[in-house]
Amino acid sequence: MELYLIPLVFALVAAISPKNMVKYIGLAGAVATLIATVVKAMAFQTGSTVLVYDPELVTSFGLTFKMGYDGMGLFMVLLTNVIVPIILLSNLNRKVANERGFNAMVLLMQVALIGVFTALDGILFYVFWELTLVPIFLIALWYGATDSKKSLVKFFIYTFVGSLAMLLSLMALGTQAADFSHESLVAVQLTAKSACWIMGGFFLAFAIKIPLFPFHTWQPATYTNAPMAGTMLLSGLMLKMALFGMIRWMIPLAPEALYEMQFLVITLGLIGIVYAAIIAIKQNDIKRIFAFASISHVGLIAAGIMLFNTDVLSAAFVQLLNHSLVAVGLFLAAGILEDRFGTRDITQMGGVAKVAPRFAFWFAVIAFASVSVPFTSGFIGEFLLLKGLYNYHWIVGLIAGTTLVFGAVYTFRAYQVSMNGAATTHPFKDLTWNETLAFFLIALMIVFFGVYPQAIINFVGPSLENLKSLIQASNNLVP
Amino acid sequence: MDALIIVFVTGLISMFIAMAKKPVLVLATALIGLSSALALMINQWWSATGFIQLNYEGLLFDKPAILYSSLAISFVLLIVAGGYSYFKQEVEHTGEYISLLIFSLVGAMCMIAFTDLFMFFLGLEILSIPIYVMVGSKKRDILSTEASLKYFFTGSLATGILLFGTAWVYGATGSFKINEISAAILDGSAKGALLNVGILIMMAAFLFKVGAAPFHFWSPDVYGGAPTIVTGFMAAVVKLAGLFAFLKLFTFTFWGAYPLWSGALFGIIILTVIVGNLSALAQTRFKRMLAFSSIANAGYALIAIMNQSNWSTWNLWMYIYGYGFAIIALIIISLLVNDENDAIEGFRGVGRKNPFIGVVLTVSLLSLAGVPPLAGFFGKYMVFAAAFKQYPALVIAAIATSGIGMVYYLRFFMTAMAKEENESTVKKLNPSILQTVVLLICTIALLIGGYIAY
Repeated sequence: MELYLIPLVFALVAAISPKNMVKYIGLAGAVATLIATVVKAMAFQTGSTVLVYDPELVTSFGLTFKMGYDGMGLFMVLLTNVIVPIILLSNLNRKVANERGFNAMVLLMQVALIGVFTALDGILFYVFWELTLVPIFLIALWYGATDSKKSLVKFFIYTFVGSLAMLLSLMALGTQAADFSHESLVAVQLTAKSACWIMGGFFLAFAIKIPLFPFHTWQPATYTNAPMAGTMLLSGLMLKMALFGMIRWMIPLAPEALYEMQFLVITLGLIGIVYAAIIAIKQNDIKRIFAFASISHVGLIAAGIMLFNTDVLSAAFVQLLNHSLVAVGLFLAAGILEDRFGTRDITQMGGVAKVAPRFAFWFAVIAFASVSVPFTSGFIGEFLLLKGLYNYHWIVGLIAGTTLVFGAVYTFRAYQVSMNGAATTHPFKDLTWNETLAFFLIALMIVFFGVYPQAIINFVGPSLENLKSLIQASNNLVP
Repeated sequence: MDALIIVFVTGLISMFIAMAKKPVLVLATALIGLSSALALMINQWWSATGFIQLNYEGLLFDKPAILYSSLAISFVLLIVAGGYSYFKQEVEHTGEYISLLIFSLVGAMCMIAFTDLFMFFLGLEILSIPIYVMVGSKKRDILSTEASLKYFFTGSLATGILLFGTAWVYGATGSFKINEISAAILDGSAKGALLNVGILIMMAAFLFKVGAAPFHFWSPDVYGGAPTIVTGFMAAVVKLAGLFAFLKLFTFTFWGAYPLWSGALFGIIILTVIVGNLSALAQTRFKRMLAFSSIANAGYALIAIMNQSNWSTWNLWMYIYGYGFAIIALIIISLLVNDENDAIEGFRGVGRKNPFIGVVLTVSLLSLAGVPPLAGFFGKYMVFAAAFKQYPALVIAAIATSGIGMVYYLRFFMTAMAKEENESTVKKLNPSILQTVVLLICTIALLIGGYIAY
């Protein structure tokens, strides 16, 4: 329970505290939540399921209020609670950190995210899923670019409509299930046709949030217009909800449709990988480059998840972590460049490496992780995902493999054009202490999980096995 | 029964006490009277009997009636308390305003607890006539006068049609009592054109009262022209009474004729949610937007009447709970903003400048739009989920249109929460203590909606 209460209480305190205190209160809240989570993680036995809240009642419409976590859920909660302090930390020296609304909304977002990852009830999952939308919307509205109204409305409506499709799917499942708890929903036997519809509803919600290829049109504008912290939250945590949702909800609830949908989703993922990467290469706006890079990277994860075997799924979790770290790092670098140059156009930047060597170094570390160099966390996850896709079909593996090449091109192009070359006359301040610390923490984790990814695989592996046997027990269809 | 009497007496006293020309006395009377009526109602939920044993067979306060009556009384309490700053502007009329609203509540309670069509008709008239007057209570405002006249003419026509339908039903079944009518239809002794025409005519009148398309044309003008607080009363209390009477009459009394009216209602619901939401998109005035949104919401609520679920009464209650509190909060904020053109632009930056109003606005708007975990979501969810098995197409249409609905709620939300460069142009709102309490109650009610839902 304290997982939700700590950030919630701090969010309320931040909303009414004096202005010069508020950023420390926000950070303290995030760190306190992290400590509470680490304590939980210490006591956690891998493979078990811990119920956080279970009043053991069923409402008239099937809501059971079950909250809890297994290895996967706890891993995602940990990830959230690691990323949120880093986001707040990296914003400390910005004007936005002194705003009550900002700190309150980030912490509220954290509550909602934790809720999404720990919900064991379909309706609760939906509730928290929608709840995440409000804080991020307000952050982008208040602290983002002033002319961003249109893209924000598009973002909100797009994701809201996607969620409604998920709600329909849940309702359709609910008519056949005893209640909305995860296990009752998994136990429902469906015909292949209705399973396709149900999975389609979930898929629409998740594909918009991730975003996968034809549903991505809201993403670049929203990422560009949101303030730095908003972009970090969107790419670092919010899209992870969708990938996690695919593993926890979409496939287990309608496994009968896995084979029918597999090809479709993998194809969309592949198109996204290549298409977004090519666009990223041609962009000059640094935030747009990383926005498209994000589409390209998550396309690979989504395609991998659809294979639904334990190896690839554990790799997906490694890659989820890696993508969060890299996205936060890259958007931090982009934010720093935008702040100090006053523009996002990389052709107007240059020579930063000479005047700001520290920044150049840390940015390079993140860039290497982004292109999956060995000994960074990106390597092992991407490698296993590609291996899985190659086993599915060699052409799929081949196309997906282009992500490595394209990734190197757009990341290093962005790095090279902005950091090297002739110096501009624009003065450039090197990193402040909080930015250095944020980069350091990110890089530390990137290297640690690059050397020892087994930690993650051991953590989530048993829960994945449990999930698979649960599906197998209720449906005799999945291998 | 005793609660009804207390409400009526409260109305009388507050009308006469107004002769003292002290608005605060009227307010105190109204609040005390309504609160005690509410307390009695809640007490009756557990004790199952009132303090006064009156067996009048026309009215029966059973459990659903108690639920709905308590909600209606709470709404009126909040509206009277929240609108007090408006009512006291004209000292000589304060008593009339408040007592008329309370009399209207008496009508609403009759409409909730009726057991025969005669009592139902009486309730409808007691509900409507004070509202005709209240809509026109801004006597020097031409729009208000127009609204009143328009509402009166169309409303009387609808009442006439209702009576006409009642006559047909009486002709077919030979009774005014709803359980006798119900039995007559179920055992097949009443059937044929006489009954069918009667039911359909009554349904048309009902759809007019709750403002469903294509009988909705009066509502934007009337909502827009009426004084703000009366708009809130119509949207919350009148809708509540109308929808519950609809539910009671059709899912209980005319149950035997389900195949007949369900088909018609199916089409009307789809039309209503589409017309309401699409028309609301184009509105630039707040109250007109609210009017179209209330049309759409009536459409969603009617889905509760469509489905043959044992939980319909409860689902509809939950729906109106979420809807009513949100509307009251919005109406009071609109009263505070008091933009002379009633334009949505008049709300610009208001929520940002006044954080408390901002929170209330956020909660109530998102609840109206159906974003979890607020009461509005649970209401919508319960209504939709219960109907999903039987009418998937209906639910899909409703969910798709609530996606459209999100657009205009969001637009309004963004206007109200916008961060203005020039903050001094934004109005600083000063809610009175009473209004602050009312807004707080509404917000809490919406926030705990999920817990009430079971």
